[in-house]
Amino acid sequence: MALIDVDGVSKAFWIPSVRRHTLREHLLGVFEPRNFQQLQVLDQVSFGLRQGEALGIMGRNGSGKSTLLKIIAGVYLPDAGRVSSHAEVTPVLELGVGWNQELDAIDNVMLVGSVMGLTLDEIRRGLDEILAFAELERFANMKLKHYSSGMSERLGYAVAFKAVREVLVLDEIFAVGDAGFKARCERRYRELRSAGHSAIIVSHDPRIIATFCDRALLVESGRIAAEGAAREIADRYVATLTAAPPGSAGSA
Amino acid sequence: MGSTAIAAERVRTAPDRRHAIARAGLVWTLVRTDFKARYHGTLGGFVWALLKPVSMFVVLMGVFSFLFASKPAYKLNLIVGLFLWDFFAEGTKSGLISLHTKGYLLTKARVPSWILVVTSISNALITLVVFSVVIAAFLTVFGHPPTLVAFTGYAAYCLAMTAIVIGFSLAASVLFLRYHDLNQVWEVVLQAGFFIAPIIYPLDILPERFHFYLYVWPPTPVIEFSRSALVAGVMPTTTGHVYLAADAAICLIVGIAIFRWLSPRAAEYV
Repeated sequence: MALIDVDGVSKAFWIPSVRRHTLREHLLGVFEPRNFQQLQVLDQVSFGLRQGEALGIMGRNGSGKSTLLKIIAGVYLPDAGRVSSHAEVTPVLELGVGWNQELDAIDNVMLVGSVMGLTLDEIRRGLDEILAFAELERFANMKLKHYSSGMSERLGYAVAFKAVREVLVLDEIFAVGDAGFKARCERRYRELRSAGHSAIIVSHDPRIIATFCDRALLVESGRIAAEGAAREIADRYVATLTAAPPGSAGSA
Repeated sequence: MGSTAIAAERVRTAPDRRHAIARAGLVWTLVRTDFKARYHGTLGGFVWALLKPVSMFVVLMGVFSFLFASKPAYKLNLIVGLFLWDFFAEGTKSGLISLHTKGYLLTKARVPSWILVVTSISNALITLVVFSVVIAAFLTVFGHPPTLVAFTGYAAYCLAMTAIVIGFSLAASVLFLRYHDLNQVWEVVLQAGFFIAPIIYPLDILPERFHFYLYVWPPTPVIEFSRSALVAGVMPTTTGHVYLAADAAICLIVGIAIFRWLSPRAAEYV
C-alpha cells in the first residue's frame, strides 16, 4: 500500500478577462459579462509515494508542480480525483512568507509550529534547537518585521524540520541561506531519511533531485510526462530545457 | 497513524488524542498572539483599547443625560447598550477580516480555517468580560446590584450575541476573500446599525409599531433583554427568549453553511 496515493487528480483555475475584487466592481459590471479562460493546471495526475521513499518532482515553471504539492498538503482541493494519505504530511511551502510581522521569532515559532501540528509542549522543548538551527538565538526576541528575508526563510526551514511527523513535502529545498546553512539542511534531511521518513521534493535543480531522491516524476503541462529513477528524470528534465519549448514551431 | 483522504468533494481527518492536544494548543496560541500583536503585549495597550468605548460613554452620558433627564436609569441603560454594541462591532470587524489577515497560515499547511475565524473574536470577547465586570460595578454603585438570576440571564444574552458574531464572522470572512470592499460596506452598516439599535435612546420614545423592525437587527434584542434583566430587574418573556435563541441559531447556522460552502477553496483566494 502506498503511503500517499494520488489518483487521477485534476485542477483548473478559471481566469477571467477582467478581474473583479470588490462588490462595487461586481455591481458596476453586472451588465458587462466576463469571459473566463480555463487554465488546466493538473490533468489526471496519478502516482504513489512508498514508505521510506524520496520522490522528486521536476518540471518547467507553470507546469503544475507547486499546485500538486499544495493539493498533497491539503491546502488546495482538487477538482477531480483523490489524494489518500496514510501518514501525516508536513509541508514546507512558501517559507519566505507566513509570519506575523508584529510578533517576535519565539511567538512566530509557536504560531507556525502549532499550525504545522506540533503540540505546545513539543514546540517549547524544541525551541532552542529551532533557533540554533536557524542561527537566530540572538534575534529570538526581535519582531519579524526587522528580519531579512533570508533570516525569515531560515526560521521557516528550522520550524518545518522540527515539525516533521511522517512525510516531508518540500518546495525548492536547500535554496535558502549560505553554504553552511544549506549543509545543515542537507544533513538534517539525511537524518530524517535515515530515520525512515518519506519525502516529496519539488526542485528545478537536477543535482538536488539526483542526490536526494530515489525516484522522480517529470511534469509537463499538468500531466506526468515521465516517471523513473531520479537521475534519469533529472537528465531528461535538463534535456527538455535545452530543447525547443513545447508547442513552438521547432518542436513539431 | 492517521489516515487522510483529500477528494474533490471533501477533506477528512481522523482525530486522535495527540491531534486534539495540538489543536487546543493552536487555539491558545492564536488567542495569545492575537492579543499580543494587537495590544503590543502589554496591559497598558489593552487598557488603551478600553478607552475608546469608555470615552464614548462619558461623552454620550454628558450630552444625552440632559435630553433624557426624565429617565433616571438612562446612564445605566447607556453603559449596558454601549458595551454590548462595542463587542458586536469589534467582534464582527475582526471576524470579517480574519481569513485575510491570517491567510499566510492558510497557504502553509492544512489548517482548520474555522479556528482562525472563531479565535479572531477573542479580543472582543476578553473586552466584553472586562466590561461585564465594569457594568456590574456601575450598577451596584448606582443602586441596582444585579441579582444572580439577572446576571445569569445577561450571560445567556452575551452567549447569544457571541453566536451571532461567530455566525456573521464565518460567512463574512470567506466572502471578504472574494469581495475586498466588504469591510467598508460593513463599516457603513455598523454606523447605521448603531442608531438602529436603541443604544443612545430609549426604545419607548419610538412608536410601538416600529419596535418589531428594530428587533430584526440582531443586537437590539440582546441589548434590550440585558437592560431589562440588569437595570429594570424584569426578565423578558418566554416568547422573547425563544425569539433571541432562534435569531442566534439562524445566524450561526447560516454562517456555518456559507462557510462550509466557500471555505474549502479559501486558500485559492488568499
